[in-house]
Amino acid sequence: MKNEHSHQTTKKFGMVINLDLCTGCGSCMVACMAENNVPFKPDETDKLKSITWMRVYRLTNGKPFPETDVCYLPRPCQHCEGHDGHSPCVSVCPATATDYDSLTGIVSQIYTRCFGCRYCMAACPYHARYFNWYDPVWPDGMEKYLNPNVSPRMRGVVEKCSFCYHRYQAAKDRAYVEGQRDIAEEDYQTACTQACPAGAITFGDLNNPDHAVYKLKQDPRAFRLLERLGTNTKVYYISSKDWVRKAGDNYLPDERPKK
Amino acid sequence: MSEHEHMDAAVADAPHEAEEHGSGGMVFLFFLIGLAASLIVGWVIFPKLLYSQKNQPIDFNHVLHNGLVSDGCASCHFFREDGTFSGSPTLAQCIDCHSDVQGESEEEKRFVEEYVKKGIEVPWLIYARQPNCVFFSHAAHVKIAKMECVTCHGDMGETEHLRPYQYNRITGYSRDIWGHNIAGIKHHTWERMKMDDCAECHQQKKDMLGSVQTQKEGCFVCHK
Amino acid sequence: MKIDRRCFLSLAVGAGAGIALSPLPWKLTDDLSIWSQNWPWTPVPKRGEAKTVNSVCTLCPGGCGISVRKIDERAVKIEGMKTHPVNQGGICALGLSGLQLLYGPTRVKGPLKRVGERGKGQWMPISWDEAIREVTDKLTGIRKAGRPQSVAWISGAASNTLNQMLDRFSQAYGTPNGMRLPTLEDAYGLSVSLMNGGNARIGFDFEHAGYVLSLGAGLLDGWGSPVRMFKANTLWKTAGVKLVHVEPRLSRTAAKADTWISVNPGTEAALALAMAHVILKESLYKADFVESYTEKLMDGFRNIVLADFAPEAVAKVTGVDAATITMLAREFAKAKRPIAVCGRGQGTLPGSLDLFFATHALNALVGNINQPGGVWLVREELPSWPDVQPDSVAKAGLGYPRLDGIQTPARISLPNRFIQAVASGKDYPVEALLVIESNPLYTLNDTAMVRQAFSKIPFIVSFSSFMDDTAAWSDLILPNPVYLERTDDVVGVSGFPYPTIALSQPIVKPQCNTRPVGDVLLQIAKGLGDSVAAALAWKDFNACLEASLGERFKSLRKSVVWVDKAYKPAAWDEVFAAERFSFLPNGIAADAAFKPVGIPGDAGGFPLILMAYDTMRLSNGYIGNPPFLTKILEDTVLKQTDGLIEINPKTAKSLGFDEGDRAQIETPKGKAFVKVHLDDGILPGVAAMPRGLGHEAYDAYLAGKGINVNNLMASVNDPVSGFEAAWGIRAKLSKA
Repeated sequence: MKNEHSHQTTKKFGMVINLDLCTGCGSCMVACMAENNVPFKPDETDKLKSITWMRVYRLTNGKPFPETDVCYLPRPCQHCEGHDGHSPCVSVCPATATDYDSLTGIVSQIYTRCFGCRYCMAACPYHARYFNWYDPVWPDGMEKYLNPNVSPRMRGVVEKCSFCYHRYQAAKDRAYVEGQRDIAEEDYQTACTQACPAGAITFGDLNNPDHAVYKLKQDPRAFRLLERLGTNTKVYYISSKDWVRKAGDNYLPDERPKK
Repeated sequence: MSEHEHMDAAVADAPHEAEEHGSGGMVFLFFLIGLAASLIVGWVIFPKLLYSQKNQPIDFNHVLHNGLVSDGCASCHFFREDGTFSGSPTLAQCIDCHSDVQGESEEEKRFVEEYVKKGIEVPWLIYARQPNCVFFSHAAHVKIAKMECVTCHGDMGETEHLRPYQYNRITGYSRDIWGHNIAGIKHHTWERMKMDDCAECHQQKKDMLGSVQTQKEGCFVCHK
Repeated sequence: MKIDRRCFLSLAVGAGAGIALSPLPWKLTDDLSIWSQNWPWTPVPKRGEAKTVNSVCTLCPGGCGISVRKIDERAVKIEGMKTHPVNQGGICALGLSGLQLLYGPTRVKGPLKRVGERGKGQWMPISWDEAIREVTDKLTGIRKAGRPQSVAWISGAASNTLNQMLDRFSQAYGTPNGMRLPTLEDAYGLSVSLMNGGNARIGFDFEHAGYVLSLGAGLLDGWGSPVRMFKANTLWKTAGVKLVHVEPRLSRTAAKADTWISVNPGTEAALALAMAHVILKESLYKADFVESYTEKLMDGFRNIVLADFAPEAVAKVTGVDAATITMLAREFAKAKRPIAVCGRGQGTLPGSLDLFFATHALNALVGNINQPGGVWLVREELPSWPDVQPDSVAKAGLGYPRLDGIQTPARISLPNRFIQAVASGKDYPVEALLVIESNPLYTLNDTAMVRQAFSKIPFIVSFSSFMDDTAAWSDLILPNPVYLERTDDVVGVSGFPYPTIALSQPIVKPQCNTRPVGDVLLQIAKGLGDSVAAALAWKDFNACLEASLGERFKSLRKSVVWVDKAYKPAAWDEVFAAERFSFLPNGIAADAAFKPVGIPGDAGGFPLILMAYDTMRLSNGYIGNPPFLTKILEDTVLKQTDGLIEINPKTAKSLGFDEGDRAQIETPKGKAFVKVHLDDGILPGVAAMPRGLGHEAYDAYLAGKGINVNNLMASVNDPVSGFEAAWGIRAKLSKA
């Protein structure tokens, strides 16, 4: 009986990223782009128009040489829950193109539904959303590597990290044909988590005490980005550096983080 | 406008007024002609213009094959180990029996010569192909919900010939998505496969309605 | 009855009503909205059966295992191979971008012959038979004329069967001028053989180290096997192992280190020797090793470091205060299993040996050689083939001195000195050059000189898979398949302590009309006939691999990699009993061994020091940056087509620069226009530019972006080894 019920229990997929381990190598960014058919242009140096579902930011402590310190911070979509799923972007979407699924905790983006008003981009405090200003163009022959599990986007729509939802679907399908309803922790992992050579990213169900993220998010060094906005995000960060934790929530210079 | 011109206009209108009653029938007739013509355009010519059709590369007899296999549809349309659905068979499967011509059918002979011998996959036209933005899990519907193939695919297994593949000239979709009836009216579950048709069942799954925006199922359940 | 205007109006109303009552408008609206959501020109990836094929990545010497996901015949994603001992499922950004190289627009689609002027990009496609005949005829002519020594090759291939085959080809043909592009591996190899004796690859048991001192080694910037190093760093962080990094710039390695020692450029060796000074003075060295297994410590090395490398004196040179040096030395000597490691940046250029000697001496002082968590001497060698029987022509050719001045048989090559010799034209000329798996016109320092040398070579054949800078400057291109389309072996993994042999194998069918270099060389050898054909009689390269790998060839096809995880380095008694470890490298004068290499240019005219740095986001060798990698490049490194030069805000202030200002960087070797980027993480007085930008060749995604820093660098020969040893150059930054 319990087994039959468990697939219906509410999941809350989330990430814990250990910034002490992240070396800023950029593997997660490329893994994401390769997995999710993210296009590229000859010039990608205008970072406002450069589509990167996962982006590694470089934070500095602002001190002069040689006290300067740097921390690399990978930023996927934070999959905000807000209050009862009213994440900033979902609340403003007039097209029902973006949505919060309370069964998985994943903020979805349906490209064919989106008409490109970009309200969600204005609403997102994390710059996690990107607009397709141009048609995606792959040089002749390169469209061969496109992943059939993710639909390429078209000009005029917004896109963002999906926590590799198609991998969740694939994992469920695999389980279904084996007569299972539940999937194990390792069966559904995002492309960035899998690729990270430093093992800095951990992904799983934040509701499930057996998953690694469940314990990691309770680490005393854990924090979330702009927590005081009430976005209630599902991406946790761990840093042993005080200045990084403060930078994570725009604390005033003399203010102390709660932890 | 001058006063003079005004007067002219009034005079010119007078005879028309007189004939008004006489032309009433004519006006109505024209209305009917317009109505009839446009109804014909809308119901008969428009669908013909909207859809184009292609024949399948070779014909296929489902009835015949169904009689030869042991596991029904799943004999050829099976689940792969990774949970994906194989869809229409590849040459590798057909080759088991058709490495050489088996029967007397011209189509089979053509199949063996043009595809099997040359090692070229048959470019089947998929009637039920959903657009690229749709994620459809056969595993969830067949293995978990225990749905029958006919529910969505109709009596495909009982056909002796493949019907022409019709596709929408504007969208490129197979006609089966909208359904054969141009008004979108369906009598059976398999006659239309638009999003609303999926939703008919999906809305009944009370424990799966996770969407915050729509109070229905999450968008990602069926979209990619 | 008359048909009037009203009738027509009525007709129109009727038509309108009819249309509204028909499905036409509603269906059309639906279809048009669908059309507008799914533009027909947006590609729809084909579905199919998924499978995964394992292989080994050969884009760098890291030797990671890869699992390539395929949909039918298409390769759609490269992932790290979970069971591979080196990368354990992890993968770097370049490895992930591999499919962009496979399916990319810069592939050379088939053999090409130059028709216009060299470098003008005018090519004529020719058949493989013609292409091979062209090369064979040329080489036959040179050999018939009795000048086989004037044929040279430059290869960037890893140590593997292909390189063995190239050597064999040189032997049989009769040329001493085979040039392998050396890296830190070669510098380490040479230092180890001069201090330890014997030939061995150096491996580091980082996973069990207790303390890591990096003297400029970009351990987290692509040094050695990058993914393995990231994993090691994670182990260090979780186990509390301290990482100290010495570098003038806050690189990623420095940023992740527990302590970053910002040292004056080029003075890392001095810092190491000052640490040795403290260790010796305070008797912190490991007595049991030092006393029984080493020599020339008390009577040689000790005298040098005590006399010349007192912390106070070194503090002035390095900019690191004496107290810090003393603290570091004590920490290092007292730590459990401390490792000192060097090789600047990714170690793509070997560097001067003084740093290697100093670093290795530190490891010897703490006795951490061939110990768990220490520096290991690893031996893995392919079985050697029967000796070549050179004919008289070959013997005469082999009798000529190598153009790089190395004694034959050569264990190392000095392409820098080779280029200098060719450019100066003082020795005998080079009549034909074969370029294999390398892009010397881009990667060698002082590219103007490389170009000058190349212009003196009348026949250049490139075997590149890509239209890279060197291929574009060649006369004939015989494209090699890329690593995902061919079979190749990989012997050893840079810095990895266990012996490994791996086989990279075809994942997809060749996408272009290419042939593996190995096959082509065998065909050329066949065409040359006589002793050359006899020495290279394999029917194809696979047969050659089988001859080289033996039984393992078949098993590697399935397992991809063989690794001797049970490997234990030889015990001290075994290694250092007959020949003791020598603190002063054998055959090198004591005062020369630790002499630092100077910097070209005068400080008066060029007040700044320009350094090139390596980053994981730029591929700077034979492989040009794929579009994904360029896409993730920071806008503080590249902005549109402008390369950015990194300087400290203090430097900027003194020169009157602001963020983003245009500037001209000038060195004794050249000048270039750049933009200025201010960063606190760099020593004032130093300017830094990354390697990997400024390609003249390739496609719209890479060509003409930024500056090739190698254009601005001078080539400096290490006085001890002759290796390329430039660590920087004097420079001037002025307003543009």
